[in-house]
Amino acid sequence: MNLAHLHLILNHVPTVGSAAALGLLILGYARRNDHLKHVGLELLFVIAVLTLPVYVTGVAAHRELREVKEVSDDAIRVHQDVALIGFTVMEIAGFAAWLALWQWRRRGAAARGFVPLATGLLIVSLAVMGAAANLGGEIRHPEIRAAGEAAAAAGDPKRFMTYSINQAAVYSRWMWPAAEAVHFLGLSLSFGVLLAVNLRILGVGKRFPFAHVHRLLPWGMLGFGVNLITGMFFFVGQPGQYIESDPFLWKVAFLVIAGANFLYLTVFGKAWHGGDDGFVANVGDKAMALLSLTAWLGVLYAGRMLPFLGRAF
Amino acid sequence: MLEWIETTQLGLWLRESPSVWAFPTVLTLHTVGLAVLIGASWVLDLRLLGVGRQVPLTAFRWVFPTIAAGLIVNLLTGVLLFIKNAATWGVALPFFIKMALVVASVATLLPIRSLVLRSGDQQREMGGNARMLAVASILAWAAAVTAGRLLAYTVI
Repeated sequence: MNLAHLHLILNHVPTVGSAAALGLLILGYARRNDHLKHVGLELLFVIAVLTLPVYVTGVAAHRELREVKEVSDDAIRVHQDVALIGFTVMEIAGFAAWLALWQWRRRGAAARGFVPLATGLLIVSLAVMGAAANLGGEIRHPEIRAAGEAAAAAGDPKRFMTYSINQAAVYSRWMWPAAEAVHFLGLSLSFGVLLAVNLRILGVGKRFPFAHVHRLLPWGMLGFGVNLITGMFFFVGQPGQYIESDPFLWKVAFLVIAGANFLYLTVFGKAWHGGDDGFVANVGDKAMALLSLTAWLGVLYAGRMLPFLGRAF
Repeated sequence: MLEWIETTQLGLWLRESPSVWAFPTVLTLHTVGLAVLIGASWVLDLRLLGVGRQVPLTAFRWVFPTIAAGLIVNLLTGVLLFIKNAATWGVALPFFIKMALVVASVATLLPIRSLVLRSGDQQREMGGNARMLAVASILAWAAAVTAGRLLAYTVI
């Protein structure tokens, strides 16, 4: 199995998954059931995390198809542009869902408007992802393509969004260095917060209530978000050097684990109900903390080693 | 002198060894050290600015040995990275700006440390002075990282 194959398997997640998450949220509203809304938001967050490997493997699929004559490169690029918009909306929806879940945990209720906001963004991303999925299907299935559509699309590569980002990444003197600097700031923030939270689980400062250390989590998420934006700028700007580098694939896998760990730290109950006696971690909690730290070190290692173990600069 | 440093056995190994354990590992350790050092500093700075203000400052004493560990790793790997590029970095303004920013950042840690070590378990509020220090620390570290990262583009 190669990455293109993985793309064909994973590419159903953003559409089918979003539809399921949206169904849960709508059901939650209809039945006035907060528990259903929680599950819907959790599912939305998971799908937002999984959408990263979907996008990344899509670029690999594009490279596999470059040499295939009967496939239109323009059809792929149109699909890629719409997928990038869908990815962006999906990530924003995922962040909104996470914030709502975090507030729910901390205050017993999400700030007014946050759950509807996440739901609204999810509807938009489902629509865009549906369009992207349709355009993706047309790449290999000309029989479903509307007549004349492909011919009209051919021509100027400058109209593609990914092309403009690529040009900025290659020709701007300051954008790449600036994004690198910001990427390192985001990395420090995320790593510091996850270090503090996980060390507390492992028993450092166990006299003090765990819920308070948890207040730091949104700052970790801020670093994560900043690095998702700068990281996607690198990837969309210079996809070839990453997609052909093994460490980049490890990094994406570690990031999925790190994302799942964020959700675990947010929604698992014990952390928030430890009371003033503090939170007593069992073996499972400690294993999760070690897994989280390992994943973050893996992200750092694979990322920094990209030029040496892979082909990136 | 600077040329001589580069041509020592160590300098040559760092520059020319194709091994992943030479320059790549030193650079990666420098990055991990940076994340530990600055991450831990920022967590404490955020607390001084009021995030999780119910937590007594004594709960944050662990950050100092952590910062010290990161600092030691980065001093050692930093010296190695300098040896590799001594002739160019030794005369480059951006490198000295970065070093000055690192010194300034570490300098902000000292009053913060004495503040935290002096506080008792009951103490929650630190006052405006602590907030100023926290802001200075956050900005100084951010500037140091930025200057360091940009060395790759300004001094080649």
